[in-house]
Amino acid sequence: MAPRLLAASTAVLLVGSFAAPAPCAPWAYITNQGSHDVSVIDVATQRVVATVPVGKAPAGVVASSAAGRAYVSNPDSRTISVIDMRTQAVVDTLPAGEGPVGLDAAADGSRLLVADWYAKRLLVYDLRNAGAARPVASVAVGRAPAGVAVHAQGTLAYVAERDDDSVAVVDIAAARVRARVRVGSHPFALLHDAAQERLYALNVQSDDVSVIDTRDADRPRVVGTVKVGKAPYGAALAQGGRLLYVTNQHDDTVSVIDTQTLQPLRTLTGFGYPEGVATSGDQVWVVNWMDDNVAVLDAASGRRLATIATGRNSRGFGAFIGAPLP
Amino acid sequence: MNPMTRRLMLGCSTAATLAALCLPAHAHGPTRQKVVEKITINAPADVVWARIRNFDTLKDWHPAVASSPADKGNEEGSLRKVTLKDGGTLLETLESHNDAQKKYSYRAKDGGALPVTNYTSTIQVTADGNASVVEWRGAFYRGFPNNDPPPDRNDEAAVKAVTAVYTSGLQNMKKWIEGK
Repeated sequence: MAPRLLAASTAVLLVGSFAAPAPCAPWAYITNQGSHDVSVIDVATQRVVATVPVGKAPAGVVASSAAGRAYVSNPDSRTISVIDMRTQAVVDTLPAGEGPVGLDAAADGSRLLVADWYAKRLLVYDLRNAGAARPVASVAVGRAPAGVAVHAQGTLAYVAERDDDSVAVVDIAAARVRARVRVGSHPFALLHDAAQERLYALNVQSDDVSVIDTRDADRPRVVGTVKVGKAPYGAALAQGGRLLYVTNQHDDTVSVIDTQTLQPLRTLTGFGYPEGVATSGDQVWVVNWMDDNVAVLDAASGRRLATIATGRNSRGFGAFIGAPLP
Repeated sequence: MNPMTRRLMLGCSTAATLAALCLPAHAHGPTRQKVVEKITINAPADVVWARIRNFDTLKDWHPAVASSPADKGNEEGSLRKVTLKDGGTLLETLESHNDAQKKYSYRAKDGGALPVTNYTSTIQVTADGNASVVEWRGAFYRGFPNNDPPPDRNDEAAVKAVTAVYTSGLQNMKKWIEGK
């Protein structure tokens, strides 16, 4: 397996050096639920370089640098669109249960985990087995599974069980729920902080963030609750993990939280139903569903640096920025 | 709101009955829709905001509204009962009210007379030189929660109904404030 992979990547490199220069900037993949496509933005130049048609009503996204692909969930088509980061074209479409929403990939690009909202399952895909369209496992989880986060080591995944007000800890290899922790009301998005061994669960109805200690996989426990704005929807870490950015849909604001003290530092205004948020270097990118654009912020100050127009009803639910590994 | 919305409302109850009878086992749900409408009013933003800032003044400027009392004024959580001239009603809760930003937001769990659910809306006044721009925007789901919605409760019907409410309201607000 390994030598073959190595050979394959050498071949790609050789081809790359003779053909057009391979673009290497990170890309942002913004799902546009109203126009059924993905705006691909060059993070360095802040320009839309491609608008990729995908399935119906795309919502969730994960840009896996290790896999060199962005995976997009299309709840209305019940599929995952696979976009090659080098060509910005859809190279595969995976069947994905009854209604895929949140998704995340293991850091090494080996596994893709997809929450199947209506079937109450977590779907596991093997990304190394080329052409393997169907999930290799399907784990029964709680009601309305929404956000998914894979632990940095790739053995565990966390799933927000929205209608059960809980988060499940899933053993990926064993394909079973290993533990469960009760959080606030209606958790939707999840973000794992590997450095601090913490999971943040954003509770859409109680307008707060549950901070979960994940050091003991069998006994996850809530160690703090941070009040944010109305209907928190997306989260990203910035400034080396010192800051947590949270979008508040119904307040049109973004909360910036100090991860050491778990105190809110400031509330940024001027967004339009902000949803997805992701970090690249010293910038934080916020997707505005109402305004059909992305706001680029200076991570340290929160100041707005640029606004980039996207497709209709943009969501960007997930880790939407990535760069293919050389 | 108008005869058309009234008809939509009647359509709702029939469709709801059908839905209860034949709910698919694993329906995949609707996606959130939005409407954004703007109008320029020839009056300073402070003047426009002063006229519309109270949550219960909807009846003063919306042509389809007969009454709109709000039980706690402009306090967060204030409940506004909107009665339409054709008899339909809507119950809306004030989520935020901001004089500095000249805007307020409210939500309705179900759309009442409108074929929508999970409806949230914001109305905001911004200065544009000596004039003002009033923006009214809403986010909502269609009235029918499952697959294969009937035409009167699908995404298009929801967007059309909310658009009609916003444009007629803004046009009348402009006349009312400009004194025409």
